[in-house]
Amino acid sequence: MKDFDALKDIWSNQVELARINADDILKLVRQSKRRLSAKLLFEVIAMAVAVLLLVYTWFTIDFRMWTSHAALIIFIVCCVYVVFAQLRDYRRLMDNSLLLDKPNEYIDYLKSYKKHRYVLNTKKYRSYTLFFIAGFAFFFIEIFFVASLWVTILGISFTVAWFLFCYFILMKSYIRKEEQRLNEMIENLERLQKQFSEDESR
Amino acid sequence: MNKEVLFKDIFKANTKKIFHLCYGYTGDEDIANDLMQETFLKVWQNLEKFRNQALISTWIYRIAVNTCLSYLRVEKRQAKDELTDNIIETQAEEVSEKNEQVAALYKCIAKLEENERIIITMVLDEVPYPEIAEISGISEGNLRVKIHRIKHKLTELYNQHERF
Repeated sequence: MKDFDALKDIWSNQVELARINADDILKLVRQSKRRLSAKLLFEVIAMAVAVLLLVYTWFTIDFRMWTSHAALIIFIVCCVYVVFAQLRDYRRLMDNSLLLDKPNEYIDYLKSYKKHRYVLNTKKYRSYTLFFIAGFAFFFIEIFFVASLWVTILGISFTVAWFLFCYFILMKSYIRKEEQRLNEMIENLERLQKQFSEDESR
Repeated sequence: MNKEVLFKDIFKANTKKIFHLCYGYTGDEDIANDLMQETFLKVWQNLEKFRNQALISTWIYRIAVNTCLSYLRVEKRQAKDELTDNIIETQAEEVSEKNEQVAALYKCIAKLEENERIIITMVLDEVPYPEIAEISGISEGNLRVKIHRIKHKLTELYNQHERF
């Protein structure tokens, strides 16, 4: 039979297993700073290229109908929105001041952040898809007038099939998985929060 | 003082306790090392904020606790189960009797609730009660009651473990 003091002795005699030293951390600070900004820069550049291509198309091709202009505006707004949303979330994630909050408040923040990401990855993604469908629908109006009927039908069929595949197969399973993951995370966070708030009520 | 020098001093003074906290929370040496690394990365990023604070260790503990809490063990738990018997045997041979007792103690800590694990590792590392209360956001009165209960629970778990 051992008492708590005996456990304390065992604890104080433990061999150190920490393998990291201060220089490793400083090296990592420099690396991760570069990696994160490179990743962010890549995302922003990729979207900027997409927007530039759309703008280039807009100015070089002589669209005759307003619907095509509307389609391009929708595409550009969607791309800009994605960059904006990513940047905003990145900044929120990088806000380290929250780490100094009391654990209970920090758990609250984690819950709200995870819910926010879920909304962005599911509901907002759905609206984003609907906007793209509207953009393509507008775009095909002009195609219908300038191209042959078969080209139009082929283009519409391919686009509709692609969107149906994305919406009913890819997105459904993605949303289901996200939902499961989020529920599990929220359950865990709520259990943690309960542990910390119970202390105050006792 | 130069930021790097200050950081190295802080690291040296706190690394042992922070590692114990991470190990006590996760029960896994590798994950504990990862969490400790993440904690000190965040300490570096926040260094300006508590440069002139009297009790830097309180803030470092707070960061470590929050880093541990945001680690949700769902994904990583399976990886541990994938250890083959062979690896377990080899590791077992290397563990001395003293280390066996420490391993058993960590095993018992792992059986406690998350907030209990955090509190008891700080108690074992002799962090003063007012500081533990400040770190965990629990009032000192409640904390004393809680610590008494956890000590009892842990001692029972350890003695049970020794009997079998």
